[in-house]
Amino acid sequence: MNFFNLNLIKNKNKVFSFSLFLISFSLVGILYSTFNTTYKMPINLGMDFIGGNELRIERVCENECSNISPDKVVENLRKVSNNKNLVNNIKLQFQNDYKLISIRTPYLKIEESNNLINNLETVIGPLNDDSKNTRLIGPRLGKKLLLNSITSLLVSLFAISLYITIRFDRKYAFFALIALFHDLFIVFGIFSWLGILLSIEVNSLFAVSLLTIAGYSVNDTVVIFDRIRENLKLKETEYNETIQISINESFRRTIFTSITTLIPLLTLILFGSYSLFWFSISLSLGIIVGSYSSILLAPSFLLEIKN
Amino acid sequence: MKRRQGWLFFIIFLLTLAIYLLINYPLQLGLDLRGGSQLTLQLIKEEGKVSKDELEAVKAVLDKRVNNLGVSESNLQTLGRDQLILELPGEQNPLVASRVLGKTALLEFRTQKIGTNSELKKLQLQRFKINDLIEEYTLLEQNKIVDDFNNINSLLNDIQLTLNYSSTSQDLFGKLIDTKLFINNQIANLFIKTDLSGKDLINAGRRQEQSNNNWEVLLTFSNEGGEKFAEITKSIAGSQQLLAIILDGESISEASVGSQFSNTGITGGLATISGNFSAEDARELEVQLKGGSLPLPIEIVETNTIGALLGSKNIIKSLYAAISGLIVVGIFMILNYRILGFVSVISLIFYGLFNLALYSLIPVTVTLPGISGLILSIGMAVDANILIFERIREELKRGNTLIRSIDSGFQRANSSIIDGHITTFVSCFVLFLLGTNFVKGFAATLGIGVAISLFTSLNCSKTILKFLTTYQSLRERNLYLKKESFL
Repeated sequence: MNFFNLNLIKNKNKVFSFSLFLISFSLVGILYSTFNTTYKMPINLGMDFIGGNELRIERVCENECSNISPDKVVENLRKVSNNKNLVNNIKLQFQNDYKLISIRTPYLKIEESNNLINNLETVIGPLNDDSKNTRLIGPRLGKKLLLNSITSLLVSLFAISLYITIRFDRKYAFFALIALFHDLFIVFGIFSWLGILLSIEVNSLFAVSLLTIAGYSVNDTVVIFDRIRENLKLKETEYNETIQISINESFRRTIFTSITTLIPLLTLILFGSYSLFWFSISLSLGIIVGSYSSILLAPSFLLEIKN
Repeated sequence: MKRRQGWLFFIIFLLTLAIYLLINYPLQLGLDLRGGSQLTLQLIKEEGKVSKDELEAVKAVLDKRVNNLGVSESNLQTLGRDQLILELPGEQNPLVASRVLGKTALLEFRTQKIGTNSELKKLQLQRFKINDLIEEYTLLEQNKIVDDFNNINSLLNDIQLTLNYSSTSQDLFGKLIDTKLFINNQIANLFIKTDLSGKDLINAGRRQEQSNNNWEVLLTFSNEGGEKFAEITKSIAGSQQLLAIILDGESISEASVGSQFSNTGITGGLATISGNFSAEDARELEVQLKGGSLPLPIEIVETNTIGALLGSKNIIKSLYAAISGLIVVGIFMILNYRILGFVSVISLIFYGLFNLALYSLIPVTVTLPGISGLILSIGMAVDANILIFERIREELKRGNTLIRSIDSGFQRANSSIIDGHITTFVSCFVLFLLGTNFVKGFAATLGIGVAISLFTSLNCSKTILKFLTTYQSLRERNLYLKKESFL
């Protein structure tokens, strides 16, 4: 009747090894990021958390935009601007065939940010004010946002744990939570690596994605545990056998729900605004890891106990 | 069956209501979708927490300033216990707003300490020099002549040497401004406080000075303030002592009072401040004085500006993402669940409409993170449908009749669905309570989505399915169970 027949009893150790591998992979990333990078943090914190100034603006060009090397622009800015502290800390990038220019600097006041744009215009020609996107975050707010994100994560993890413990008996709740922390840790680790390798930064939306993943991951595990409990009550087969049947029965459902959640996320990645790009990526990663841990990892824990 | 019919009418009623709401109450779009600026203002209090009254008092002052600035459609809200958010839609430059709002604008009138004349003269001379340098700098800056800054730099160093002062700023302009501020503070220290302050004003205005192009700011005192002003001017009339007008601890103007006022002081309750103001300076000071001074200082901790073009691009991108997401999910569902998939597509459309209608009813301001919450909640709404449909298929495969399978499918999936929704809802709730403005938008739409999805997936789907199965031709088992499914 089922087109797939996962033999979890036999492959249990493979599942554990795979998870162990993922966790070590993440751990290495987090440790490397903490000790061996310039930012000395488990993850590359973005300007939401440390403050800074970000500017994205399009150039007005007749046909094609002339190509200029970013270093040259910064060099020229040095001539125009007297603020050495600013010019020495500019990160400048061109995108879309030199049409879009994006700049990161330490925190600036609005006046200084305005000056920067004016100076930029003298160096690379006219800019389209209508396409401007600037964000200035003071260091004072950054700290607050970081604290806020960490509290939200802890509070909601606590609330979810509490709910699961009330809802299931302790054994099930414990394993559902292990699966949940497994998922969050791996997504966090992947972003540590992205920070090391591609200088990807995490902002408040990353914290939001972790929270959403938490809700989703627990949800997936709960569905499978529900099925296991239901089948165990029927007592038609032996304990381990029952668990395996339950997994295979909910396999299709779990894969399908993951696919239908991944589809909108994929369209967001492909068509959505750039500000949601990494947010959608981290959610997608969370859903993939979450499905894996609900189908394979969490039930494997249940098997172990009986043996 | 009767009960279901009741539900059918109820759902049709809700749908009409939703469409009515959407037509008559258009959605409020956030600044990231229509363009504009957003400033986050943080109240600064060195000791203890900011009280509710203090927050309200600051907001009242800022409200007045914003109104006097004449920015259209601006919106000032409190955020949490110690922050305020100002939204400026459209092309309005946040620069002016930030300058006007950020200042405490504490206005004081002080009289000169006796025997400080030579000290004052010295400082005034340095101020005169520094103003000259600033003017020169601005001129050079405008014309992009960079090489001549060395001259200004050495003159500035001379001034700083005389004052025994060195500034912390890195760049030349910052140093100039710092030095000017230092001089004005020093001058203010040569004067003694009186009981006359910005609180005694009832109005402020501005006008151009007749002799030159500079502007001056006119002050109108209350009755009591007028009396105080007369008293003060009387006490120093004809003497060597000057009267200083101090704004935020900085002296902006010092003036002598003629001996003709020694009997009554300056009466009439009017005064002017002339301190070489440009038109803009005068306007900003006017707005600040009209609004009164802030009970607590504020700092602008965040500024977001999004151009109108970028905003409309964001709308289009989000629409593409949402619609293509819906279509692909729909196709996936119909391919796998056939008529059941069709039912889920219809209830998804209802789901979208109900969501949008609630946004306009509550109202929820639609922002980019908000849209991503909605798009994500589409995935979760389909989740519930899949759970139910899988159960129905299982029941059918066990050889149950269609009607029984549908009933028990809905019934047995119930508890899993509710569990899943509650865990997501918990996350949303926490996010909404603790999150920033930006995050709140996401939490709100995802939370609303989860709540509505409970209704549409459990009730709408069931009602539509029951309605369809009243037609004999739609009761074919093949329409529900594919012989071969790809998984």
